[in-house]
Amino acid sequence: MERINLGIIGLGFIGKVHLRNCLNLKSIRVVAAADTSKKALNYAKTFGVKQLFTDYHELLKLKDLDAVIISLPNYLHAESAISAMEEGKHVFLEKPLARNPEEGREIVSAAEKNGVKFMVGYPFRFATEFVNLKNRIESGVLGDIQLAYAVDIASGPFFHRAEIHAPIPVPEWWFNKELTGGGALIDLGCHMINLLRWYLGEVSDASARLGYRFNFDFEDHATCLIDFENGASAVVNVGWFSQKTALGVELFGTASYAQAYRSSSNKVITAIKLILGKTPNYFIPYLREISHFVNHINNCDDENILSGEDALKDLEVIAKAYKKQIK
Amino acid sequence: MSLVGLAECKTRNVDSIKKAIREAFSLIDYSLPKAEKIVIKPNMCYYWDWSTGQTTDPLFVVALIGLLREEISSDVEIYIVESDASAMRCKYAFKYLGYEKLAKDYNVNLVNLSEVEAEKVTVKVEDEVFEFSVPRIVRDADLCVNVPKMKYMFFTKISAALKNIFGCNPYPKKFEYHSKLDKVIVGLNKVMSFDLHVLDGLTVCGSKTLRLGLVMASQDPVAIDAVAAKIMGVNLRSVFHLRLAEKEGLGKTSFVVKGVDIDYFRRRFPRRSFSEKVIALGYRVACKLGLDKRLI
Repeated sequence: MERINLGIIGLGFIGKVHLRNCLNLKSIRVVAAADTSKKALNYAKTFGVKQLFTDYHELLKLKDLDAVIISLPNYLHAESAISAMEEGKHVFLEKPLARNPEEGREIVSAAEKNGVKFMVGYPFRFATEFVNLKNRIESGVLGDIQLAYAVDIASGPFFHRAEIHAPIPVPEWWFNKELTGGGALIDLGCHMINLLRWYLGEVSDASARLGYRFNFDFEDHATCLIDFENGASAVVNVGWFSQKTALGVELFGTASYAQAYRSSSNKVITAIKLILGKTPNYFIPYLREISHFVNHINNCDDENILSGEDALKDLEVIAKAYKKQIK
Repeated sequence: MSLVGLAECKTRNVDSIKKAIREAFSLIDYSLPKAEKIVIKPNMCYYWDWSTGQTTDPLFVVALIGLLREEISSDVEIYIVESDASAMRCKYAFKYLGYEKLAKDYNVNLVNLSEVEAEKVTVKVEDEVFEFSVPRIVRDADLCVNVPKMKYMFFTKISAALKNIFGCNPYPKKFEYHSKLDKVIVGLNKVMSFDLHVLDGLTVCGSKTLRLGLVMASQDPVAIDAVAAKIMGVNLRSVFHLRLAEKEGLGKTSFVVKGVDIDYFRRRFPRRSFSEKVIALGYRVACKLGLDKRLI
């Protein structure tokens, strides 16, 4: 298999996760990184990344670069992904695809127009728990799924930034709905809606009740009701209000029911693995999605599990739910 | 020996909290002085609201404001102060934690100490000299009331009254002080002396979050912290900033508790398990060795 020369654009929390994972993949050579923060670039430097840029456009000019991972704020997704595609680079873009379906469509068309491979980051599609659930559905053991429940409650952008070695404030863009495209529903809901669509098929209708515990103009929690074309329906609960993460899916079929929840990782083992440069268990799905991206570029995996078109459908469901609010 | 008053508040409503604070004041024979400008410093270390036990309950502050207005004057000017921190911005914390609504409803002022006039002051702690900015509003207030929480902390073992004054330091990149945190806490308390310390132990965060219903008051920050440490099961001698504060004359670690028996709260406080203590120690060692820089 050919080794891919890769650049990482955006070295926030997830950008750093991708950087570390890429260093553990033999199929990737991380040749460059870009971030506006010099501190973040220094982090990349300590892991041996040689070419560092404060402007990602400079990184995109590198001739020997095959692909980029983009982990920038939502409002920069369209601009950065399209720029990369126009430079002929394959693109792995962090979720959500964009702030709204219109921007999402522009990205998807740019990928098609420029003939590059394009994927959107949905790591839970590679998490063993959720893959096993999919296998159970496929085996027929649950019968016909009629009802589903999905939950992703966490602290969102407010996670323990105060406790890491160099605390940084929650970036300003998270507080601006124009820049994020929404609150917890778009941020966490896209994961859950993507999983449910994978399990149950396409959505016929969606609505949402948005909650504002913390008095901002974006929702910090939401309950989304979804109807599927096959007659099934689901409730999705998402929230940014809890210090503890609850992330799972429950499916109720005519023959049986099943559930899958992501278990929280042991903090000590995670810290030791990070210090040793290994990938902690919690981040294994993130490693697998990048591995799939590289295989897809090298045509080893024919099917693109995380296509732009797929992510666009998630965004359309979310847009529908935002539009059809339950008071 | 310093007096520390312990009262219990079983119900979380303004009247019950006010009653408990009043009881705690009377236990330490404290009478509120005449004042025109009062500064209240709650704990707003991060965007975790009162229900987690990490930050001061706005309802506790509402009760305190009510008491101050009843006892001193309804015209008294009240300023709730906090400063930007490495990972927290006041403008969002005030909103997120419910203080913006409180200020509007109870006609008090919210002040971000990182954005107001301050004067440079030097202070010596042991053999080291520090320069801090002291906000004029804190210096000029007639009465300064500290309203801390009681929590475990990686670097200082406990966080209570003395540590809460760290939040009066206007400099936002507070993480830079962490290597000398004990001395910095003592230094800041020397240049910003608060008149009264009323600890909000209604909901506490130990090994888990719990409704403890504790209200504690003292004029001595060292004594109130010593009681907090005892309730939390932390050996006083292992808390360096407490010993240093006593040495620097900020108060006494010897105390007399009045009111509810200390053991009543000590038995119920969700103390850290042995493994949690080992993790905390491991983290401190990792930080000292610089290994934490490899974390995300």
